[in-house]
Amino acid sequence: MLHLSRLIGRPVRDSSADAIGVIDDLIAAVGTSHPPITGLVVRTGRRRIYLGWSSVEQIDAAGATISATRVNISRFRRREDEILLKGDLLDKQIVDIDGRKVVRANDVILDFIDGAMRLVAVDVGTAGLLRRLGLPDAWVDRLSGERSRVASYIDWEDVDPLGSTIASVRLRVPHAGLSELHPADLATIVDQLTPRDRADIFNTLDEEVAAEALEELEPETRTDLLEDLEPERAADLLEEMSPDEAADAVAELSPLSRKEILRLMTKEERDDVQELLAHPEKSAGGLMTTEHVALRPQATAAEALAAIRRHKPDAEVAFAVYVVDGRRRLLGEVTLRDLVLASPAATVGALMEDEPVAVELLAHSDEVARVVTRYGLVAVPVVDVAHRLMGVITVSDALWDVLPEEWRREMPRRLHADSLAAAGPQELPARATTKRSTKSAPKSAAKVRKGPPRNKSSVKRG
Amino acid sequence: MANLRLRDLFRRRRGPLAFLAVVGPGLIAGVAGNDAGGITTYATLGSQTGLRFLWILPLTTLLLALVQESVARLGVVTGQGLSDLIRERFGVRWALFAMVVLLLANLANTVANVAGAASALAIFNVPILITAPLAALTVWVLVVYGTYRSVERIFLALTAVFLAYIAAALLANPNWATVASSLTTPNLGGVSGAEMLLLVAVVGTTVTPYMQFYLQSAVAEKGIGVEELGAARADAILGSIWTNFIAACVVIATAVALGSLGKPIASAAEAAVALEPLAGSFSKILFGAGLFGASLLAMAIMPLTTAFALAEAFGFESGVDKRLREAPIFYGIFTAILAIGAIVVMLPGLNPIGAIISSQYLQGLFLPIVLAFIVKLSSSKALLGEHASPRWLRLIGWGSVAILAILNVGIVVVNLLGLAA
Repeated sequence: MLHLSRLIGRPVRDSSADAIGVIDDLIAAVGTSHPPITGLVVRTGRRRIYLGWSSVEQIDAAGATISATRVNISRFRRREDEILLKGDLLDKQIVDIDGRKVVRANDVILDFIDGAMRLVAVDVGTAGLLRRLGLPDAWVDRLSGERSRVASYIDWEDVDPLGSTIASVRLRVPHAGLSELHPADLATIVDQLTPRDRADIFNTLDEEVAAEALEELEPETRTDLLEDLEPERAADLLEEMSPDEAADAVAELSPLSRKEILRLMTKEERDDVQELLAHPEKSAGGLMTTEHVALRPQATAAEALAAIRRHKPDAEVAFAVYVVDGRRRLLGEVTLRDLVLASPAATVGALMEDEPVAVELLAHSDEVARVVTRYGLVAVPVVDVAHRLMGVITVSDALWDVLPEEWRREMPRRLHADSLAAAGPQELPARATTKRSTKSAPKSAAKVRKGPPRNKSSVKRG
Repeated sequence: MANLRLRDLFRRRRGPLAFLAVVGPGLIAGVAGNDAGGITTYATLGSQTGLRFLWILPLTTLLLALVQESVARLGVVTGQGLSDLIRERFGVRWALFAMVVLLLANLANTVANVAGAASALAIFNVPILITAPLAALTVWVLVVYGTYRSVERIFLALTAVFLAYIAAALLANPNWATVASSLTTPNLGGVSGAEMLLLVAVVGTTVTPYMQFYLQSAVAEKGIGVEELGAARADAILGSIWTNFIAACVVIATAVALGSLGKPIASAAEAAVALEPLAGSFSKILFGAGLFGASLLAMAIMPLTTAFALAEAFGFESGVDKRLREAPIFYGIFTAILAIGAIVVMLPGLNPIGAIISSQYLQGLFLPIVLAFIVKLSSSKALLGEHASPRWLRLIGWGSVAILAILNVGIVVVNLLGLAA
């Protein structure tokens, strides 16, 4: 095992043991899980030259020896898929995907695996710092302590290198690891980043993942981010978000970007968002989403389930379908449980609970929260003065305004498939268990379990 | 102003801070510049040297504007804090060096503000040995147990008292022709060693190292886009002019009230005399309240900025929303600085006003080092691209570093020789 800090500045000798320069940097070809080192940057006098790895005979803390016969020296030029370990990685911010944190690379760990020198881990602990200060190994060990040293290595597989802060050099990083994260965790990380890194990440993420993470971001971060993105990309992401969250996000934008982004959205999504924007912020209308499943009384249970499959509403919205008459007046509601248990041919008109609890468009958000709490609802329908169904408010949106601020950070804005699965500890989502290494297992498990186990209690209603 | 979560603070646009949030970090940083150290140093300049050295203020305004513009530019374009950038561009050793400098400077400033709080309450006959530990403990509890944000506004409101200096300077009715000529004609003729120290303290208290770290983090956290760079610049420059305008008023008001004595102010009660034309017998209470508020505010900000900057540079857990156990190093640094500040002020025989002036002199001593980092970073084409400092700005920047460094070395040498002789 080698530390980058112990290599930089060490002499590079040819076969006759004459020093031709010092090691200035190491180059790795990114893309694989443990990228191989592909070359050296050597400083000779004032020049930086590139030395292919094939001409390096030996490298250790004493320096590098190159074979004279195979030397292939050229002036250093950076290639697309390569990173400079010192120039691009050392001292820069990286995301510890496993620990869900933004940290700084204090040192880089290299090792021989499968016959090649590879980049295996990043040291983010005290030991790395001390080594960088040039302290001898014995001191580093004594001052940092064995246990903390191992714990502060992050396997390269769990590292997401952020773009460089250097304006002239933009690294192309796929951010594959980040898109594996729970949206709430991803949002926590993105909240810690610089605006430029945020935009970079959101440009590479899959649309669905990006939209879910957007819903979880702090409102101000979200606004900044949407304005930093290309308007087309922002519009695409907003279309992917649930209409009420999209409306909240659009409402915060500056008038100019709001107009531009709305123009680029599809007509259907734009209409939804604009309708929601018209309602006062602190009213039921401002809280609701237009997303829901509404059926006529004569529809059957089988048709109702088919409608849910077709519309794919968010988890909380899917807990019930609403029964309306020809003029969309709310007649009743049928819970998902009743639909599943009923015979497929039964009509929703027969299954429905008459006169369900509903709130009016202009009801204050406090009242909505009270109604949702009193009746233990997962979602409450919103009606206008003529009792026509306008939309649905989910429990997380209903309670958002009344929660103490510290709790809000902990609360997911949406129920995600993961939070549901994670309610039982024995059923941790596969994602969390596979991404885990021994180091922080309890932490990541706790993180995923944070979503309240609402799926147990909330199906029943008063 | 306090950067307990800068982000939260600037985001929440209601309450008495709403105005400040809109006006921007530069202006806030400007008002915050007039803490216990600032007010005491300017008052001493007025009482000890009268109107003679008013010309230093336009120069420090220029320096402050240049520095804050550079820092705002760095924050806007890179989206990162100053210690972040020092670490990324110069590596661990330079970052450690910069952090040691910042730590020492902020320690000194914390001492100044504990001393400020102590001398403010001394007006009301509360002994220093009681005020110093109690004030430190209060600030510690407020920050660690998270009620700080609510009290912060009270402290901040108290500092508005210093705006009274504007009226006081007008009412003092100095010879405005003298004021004008003194402002515009730099004259170092017959300057004594003590006066030289005082001038460096004035530079140091105006362009404090910590403020640059604070401002850049604030700008970066606010996520101001490059398209708003012009506004951020104007904000930084107007803020500098605004701070020094108040500073000039303090000097003028004090010079008229006490300048005939030609010696430093001895206590906060004496400094309050300058407000008498405006507030009469009420002036001591007014001044005491303002000084107390400013000191407590700075007692929280100074250790916090240090802890945040160190966390930025070395990557440990930080944030006041964390629990003690979650961010032990962060809270450790915060606690240690506050405790040392209180203990130093409690040392027997320490003159609070003298301690404040000395600490501001230390700020001036460290300034060229911090300034060098800022000039170097802000002229980097690789970092800022087209927004890198132009040639003339680089020249002025390095020129200022050189002048300040020579001045400081000179003073240190002269004082050492003086001690030896």
